[in-house]
Amino acid sequence: MSFALPAFWKRHKPLLLAFVLAVATTGFFAVKLVIATVYWSDPAHRDQHIEGWMTPGYIAHSWNVPPEVIGTELGLQPGGTPKRITLDDIARERGVAVDTLIQQIEAAIAASRGRN
Amino acid sequence: MTDWLFTLVPIYGAWIIALATYLSCLAIPMPSSFLMLAGGAFVASGDLALSSVVLGAFGGAILGDQTGYVLGRKGGNFLARGAKRGGKRRALIVRARAFLDRWGVLSVFLSRWLFSPLGPYINFLGGAGGLRWSGFTLGSLTGESVWVVLYVGLGYTFSGQIAQVAEFAGDIAGLLAGLVVTFGLGAMLLRAARRHDRRVKAKSETA
Repeated sequence: MSFALPAFWKRHKPLLLAFVLAVATTGFFAVKLVIATVYWSDPAHRDQHIEGWMTPGYIAHSWNVPPEVIGTELGLQPGGTPKRITLDDIARERGVAVDTLIQQIEAAIAASRGRN
Repeated sequence: MTDWLFTLVPIYGAWIIALATYLSCLAIPMPSSFLMLAGGAFVASGDLALSSVVLGAFGGAILGDQTGYVLGRKGGNFLARGAKRGGKRRALIVRARAFLDRWGVLSVFLSRWLFSPLGPYINFLGGAGGLRWSGFTLGSLTGESVWVVLYVGLGYTFSGQIAQVAEFAGDIAGLLAGLVVTFGLGAMLLRAARRHDRRVKAKSETA
């Protein structure tokens, strides 16, 4: 086969370059997949970080705690606020930092989980 | 940018998902998979209605595919002119056309969800390469259905771990798309090498 011949390389340079690039891309994703598998197989990495775009209901659902845990902690009345309010909205309304709310919620979740 | 998009999901719901899937079908980088996963998770938490998330994602994707196909068809005139000039480019275009005739619908279907990073380019190529509109639309409708149900379903089921699911899904899609392109280019190289061998042999025989 003529793969070793410089003449072949010269003639099909774009094709060979594209092939090398495709191999490199495939390898990149293979390595990334292995790293992700190793990383997420550690249970400590599995809980989803609470972020400003989440709603109280979303957090309760994703951390598997009753919605009241979050609602009570944030002082929300059931039905008292629009359903789809995010932590960012609550923080803005109250003039507090989102991070403060997040720490508060994390503590409430930890306490709720400790009780069970 | 991604964080900013996420804050819009619970507020605008289906619209933002539709916009993301539309743009991602045109090769504009959008975290559309992640947004569909988030949409599914918001359905699970009771913040969004399933029907609106599914319709938004599906509607955006179908419209995006059609737009990509039409753009490809318009740009395809360049290719047709190039083909008339003959030579190496003509041979390539003829081969691409034959490939689309045979595998076009299947390529569209599989590049919607299994090899999703290739999707937008298949839209352009399908339009430019003269793939029949009915065949393209058939592949698009069936493939996007699988894509939407798959990602919204994963988001709904693993609503507590969408960051992980998004990372895995993205890596797997990237790996599969990479493999397909690698094998395709590998086959082309192999064919070129065989041709080259034959030419060299013919030359040495005449000499």
